[in-house]
Amino acid sequence: MAAPKVELRGLHIAFAGEDGPFDVIQDLSLQVASGQFVAFVGTSGSGKTTLLRSVNGLLQPAAGEILIDGEPVRGPGPSRAFVFQRDCLLPWRNVLDNVTLSLRLRGVSRVARTAAGMDLIRLVGLRGFEHHFPHQLSGGMRQRVNLARALAADPDVLLMDEPFAALDAQTREVMQLELLRIWLRTRKTVLFVTHQIDEAVYLSDRVLVLSARPARIREDIEVPFPRSRALSLKRSPEFAVLADRVWSLIESDVMSALQGGETADDR
Amino acid sequence: MERPSDQRRVRGNGSRLAGGAVRQAANRRRRVRSYISIIAGLAIWELVARLIHNSLFIVPFTTVVSRLVTMTVSGQIWPNLGASSYEFAVGFLLGAGTGILIGVVMAASRPVEEYLDIWVTFLYATPLVALMPFFIIVFGVGIPAKIAIVYVMVVFPVLINTFTGIRTADADLLEMVRSFSASPGQVFREVLFPSALPFILTGLRLGVGRGLIAVVVGELFFSQQGLGYLINLAGQSFDTPLLFVGVLILAVAGVVLTGFLQTLERRMTPWRR
Repeated sequence: MAAPKVELRGLHIAFAGEDGPFDVIQDLSLQVASGQFVAFVGTSGSGKTTLLRSVNGLLQPAAGEILIDGEPVRGPGPSRAFVFQRDCLLPWRNVLDNVTLSLRLRGVSRVARTAAGMDLIRLVGLRGFEHHFPHQLSGGMRQRVNLARALAADPDVLLMDEPFAALDAQTREVMQLELLRIWLRTRKTVLFVTHQIDEAVYLSDRVLVLSARPARIREDIEVPFPRSRALSLKRSPEFAVLADRVWSLIESDVMSALQGGETADDR
Repeated sequence: MERPSDQRRVRGNGSRLAGGAVRQAANRRRRVRSYISIIAGLAIWELVARLIHNSLFIVPFTTVVSRLVTMTVSGQIWPNLGASSYEFAVGFLLGAGTGILIGVVMAASRPVEEYLDIWVTFLYATPLVALMPFFIIVFGVGIPAKIAIVYVMVVFPVLINTFTGIRTADADLLEMVRSFSASPGQVFREVLFPSALPFILTGLRLGVGRGLIAVVVGELFFSQQGLGYLINLAGQSFDTPLLFVGVLILAVAGVVLTGFLQTLERRMTPWRR
């Protein structure tokens, strides 16, 4: 592999719990090539979101290193942008101003912001809605804004935290297809967290199966299907075989989590 | 493949429009009923006053209005209205400014909050109008003492609401802007202040009510002019119509100022429904 875009070296993250610190991520190492679409799957509470937050720089690891283009991450920066599970749109800003948030924070002029914002609004299929406010939009449209806002920062790496989890099944399928279209256009490196196995297999070049907490990489699976992928791929036998393999890898974790009555959320 | 979501979009807008029409009709009904209620209330007032027919206890609404007209024509009302308005405006603006400023600082700094919290709670719960004689000792019987009492009455509701508004800002939104490398000032501008705005406007609305109380109470003591002075004078000379003129003006001022702030709140925070 050429020099990796994202590299994690012996990443270790612990949270303070009531009975002292507990490990969320333990000795996790990983390399992601530039332009690769990587999906992380695992049971609820397996530290997937924590992993993304640490790559974003919102969270400091207890040990190990996070490198982007060989440079260690010390905090949030322009090389990475987050697409949130809850869309986290600013309710007092319209679509255009939400999309161009990062440009506003960088002091880009209004004219340049508007031009860049309108391009992205068109890219995510929200043309004509630029002056609507978030409360006037459907869940799927809000996630499009969420994605456009991350793209506006023009990051090398997109960090996507179950962005379609709250959407209904049909909207989710449409959004997956849209995401692939946009990704093929922009060729960002994507780290995509989901608990939906078919979503992971459909979208990514590579599925990383995480173990139950503390998270380690249990399996690193190449997804061989060529681009671009139609939604009908999901109904093919090859797809079912691969999805089944991923499921078998996390099944025991899911079962034991259910039996243990564990209610930990994704943090 | 885009179609299905597009169609749903259109339908969504349609139902929202229908919802708007229903809401408008409900609003219109509410307004009509409010007007009927006002007219009925005034009619009952008029009727009861005419039946009791004792101008010492209660005077008809029309008598109060005609007294107000007489005072307006003679010019007697203006210096009194002017004095009260001036005291209220200066005290309110200073109080609101201070309240917002200290509220922001307290919300931003844990130590400042911990040092001031007990005093803010204590002073907010205290009926500060009781301090009026003290302000007269300090500032004399003129206008500054009245501004002072309005000021202390307005500061605390604004302060507490500003503080609460900032502290209850959505943690996810804060993390979101931080993930885009926002500086503390930008976090304040993009998330904290807009989150606090509805709370601040509520604080100002509470401040209007308390400020008007403060003006009247302030003027009841040794004043030469103002609405409180007129009311006090009326009480001492058994002039019930004059007394009601003073009260009526205060009531209208309260309703108008509160209504103005409510409109401002709706305009400035259209995302809240």
